[in-house]
Amino acid sequence: MRSLISRSLFTQTAAVTVMNIRSLPRRLWMSLAMVLASAVVVAILLAFLAMAKGFEATMSGAGSDAVALMMREGSQAELNSVISRDQVNLVEEAPGIARDAEGPLVSPELYVIVDGIKKSTGSKANIPLRGLDKRGMAMRGNMQLLEGRMFTPGTNEMIVGSGILREFDGFQLGNEIRFGKNVWTVVGVFSTGGNVFESELWADAKMIQSHYNRGSSYQTIRAQLENPGDLEPLTAYFDTESQLNLELKTEADYFAEQGKQLQYMAIFGRVISFIMALGALAGALNTMYTSVADRAKEIATLRTLGFSNFSAFCGTIAEALVLAIAGGLLGSLAAFVFFDGMNASTLGGSFTQVVFSFEMSPDLFVQGAVLALLIGFVSGFFPAWRAARMPVIVAFRNAA
Amino acid sequence: MNDLYLIYKNMTRKPLRLFLTCFAIFIAFLIFGAVTTLKSALDAGIDLAADNRLVVVNKINFTQPLPIAYAQKVAAVDGVENVTYANWFGGYYQEPRNQIVAMAVEPESWLQVYEREIVLSPERRAAWLGNRQGVIVGESLAQRLGWKIGDRVPVSSSIFSHKDGGHTWDFVVEGIFTGSDPQHDTNSMYLHFKYFMETQSFGGEWIGWITLTTADAAQNQRIADAIDDGFANSQAETDTSTEEAFSKAFIEQIGNIGLIIFGVVFMAFFTILILVGNTMALAVRERTGEIAVLKTLGFPAPRIFKMVLTESLLIALIGGLAGLGAAWLIIEGAKGTMAQFLPNLMLDSGIALQALLFMLLLGLITGLLPALNALRLNIVTAFNRG
Repeated sequence: MRSLISRSLFTQTAAVTVMNIRSLPRRLWMSLAMVLASAVVVAILLAFLAMAKGFEATMSGAGSDAVALMMREGSQAELNSVISRDQVNLVEEAPGIARDAEGPLVSPELYVIVDGIKKSTGSKANIPLRGLDKRGMAMRGNMQLLEGRMFTPGTNEMIVGSGILREFDGFQLGNEIRFGKNVWTVVGVFSTGGNVFESELWADAKMIQSHYNRGSSYQTIRAQLENPGDLEPLTAYFDTESQLNLELKTEADYFAEQGKQLQYMAIFGRVISFIMALGALAGALNTMYTSVADRAKEIATLRTLGFSNFSAFCGTIAEALVLAIAGGLLGSLAAFVFFDGMNASTLGGSFTQVVFSFEMSPDLFVQGAVLALLIGFVSGFFPAWRAARMPVIVAFRNAA
Repeated sequence: MNDLYLIYKNMTRKPLRLFLTCFAIFIAFLIFGAVTTLKSALDAGIDLAADNRLVVVNKINFTQPLPIAYAQKVAAVDGVENVTYANWFGGYYQEPRNQIVAMAVEPESWLQVYEREIVLSPERRAAWLGNRQGVIVGESLAQRLGWKIGDRVPVSSSIFSHKDGGHTWDFVVEGIFTGSDPQHDTNSMYLHFKYFMETQSFGGEWIGWITLTTADAAQNQRIADAIDDGFANSQAETDTSTEEAFSKAFIEQIGNIGLIIFGVVFMAFFTILILVGNTMALAVRERTGEIAVLKTLGFPAPRIFKMVLTESLLIALIGGLAGLGAAWLIIEGAKGTMAQFLPNLMLDSGIALQALLFMLLLGLITGLLPALNALRLNIVTAFNRG
């Protein structure tokens, strides 16, 4: 008996739902308005999230757990830090650092800012010029030369990241580039798998020391750890050496912190799309109330025929859900077409341009879908409630 | 029965719909007000730049230093009035996260060049000039950190180290300055360049940049060229631009991100307006029959036209003004906490007028078509349709 009732309830609901959806074209403009409202809200949410996601991926993809990064304490970013040759020498003696036949795997590096011309705006923007040696390059595990060759130490040669090539003018292979009095030649293009190092220029550390009056000083030290993630031996050693007042973290931690920078984008996006969603909800509710008023007579007829209140209720909710989901799909599609893979660049933590791409990952689509369903459900619920509760006689009288 | 009463009755016939429509408009203008204010706060540095001030930086990049001797050479260029220079201190208070905009400056000339941005009483000015360890602090920064005149404050640098070890300097607050315009940013502090140079460990007489004023803004380009040509092929080549161009270039570094965000938000704003307009237009169309009755009763067509238009204008204004008001409240509330990042957060009359314009447009566009239809409505056809 129970299964019979539930089956009839199911068929009833299905019948009402189909009927409602078939009658949508009659309320074309109102229905389209609701689809559009839901689409815009979803598209906005996804755009912001994709931006934050892309930036974070670019940053955190750069950090390795097996590399320790050392900076002057309090300096926060590579740009600010200063490290003396003596400190580098001390770090090279430190325990916990991997070694090969040539000695400890320690890479003292320099980080200088130079100007580049952005393709998109034609205006100047900060690019990092990193001074390092082959040990440093070996620490970027996924680094690979796409074109040309490595720079020759002791010459004014540099290799450029593929992100720089994408966003800035004049860095093609073979070009000569003037920074102040010095002329550099681009001899190679490298990739590091899409992370932040691709937004850099790399040259010989010694050349940068002499061109930029750095004497024998450096800015940061990277060291390959014996055991990935294990900073203990280094920390203990730093405590005994008073000269080594350096901040020590894994490279992965450093870039994870820097990646958080655009997180305010995600928060801002969520707040904006939440407020937007309220506005869209008001529009959608209007649509659904109109739709229910439009079909008041139909609903009353059905109920007179013995359809339950519940099926009338479900029918209206289903209509709202279908419209909202259609909007959600449209919005996700629009966001995907317009924003996925979009190249952008902004000022990163080290005061230099970080080139990154918007990234529309599957979990973002899930968030968009949840938002669309929420809009559909809320905007359907109250009108549906009204449709199911209105006394049949009143409905006939009003509609007449 | 006057027209206003009729309009009121028409508007409130479906209170729920009126509320929902007004609410959607409210949201649209709330977002418009807040986001436009945010955008103008970001651009504020450009608007406030004095047109006769030029900035000289190292051609390689503005983070590269210049030799201090350059300041005198720049002063000798024909048409240059006052010259001052500064170095970025990279300050923070107690925690590296609590960043402070701190600059080491040549005090007398700095106060001269920035006389509108830095307003100090003569006694405080004399006190600062007389104390090498003294600093002057902007009003909003002093408020944020609770500093008072006479306080000894430890300020650390994320870039420089003190000669005696550590990265922290002890300064004495000798003055708290305001700006001559409320839009002027007072979220900064200034220390003596000489004292800074003598106490930091790098040594060398380097400055970050030079700011100068010209006697005549029309001469800016000539003077900028003369300065850059003078330093061509020297140890540090220079790039001279107006303060406005310099701030603009800096803001552009934040990049197309800003453009994308504002583009997306404005698209959303207009979509909400379209949606609401659709509902409002439909609401009038529903009443075709009633309008026909009014006409039959002898209401002249222009009077009905006016009534329909007034109704949609009213709805747009009610929702819009409430939204703008809410945006203003939010901005005023956020001002305190945001002062550190966006000192010029202000919903000014320009933005309010712009919003008002959009409200009127919304009311007119959504009202015009139904109103025109009502104007032209033929009574007989209307009744046949009903």
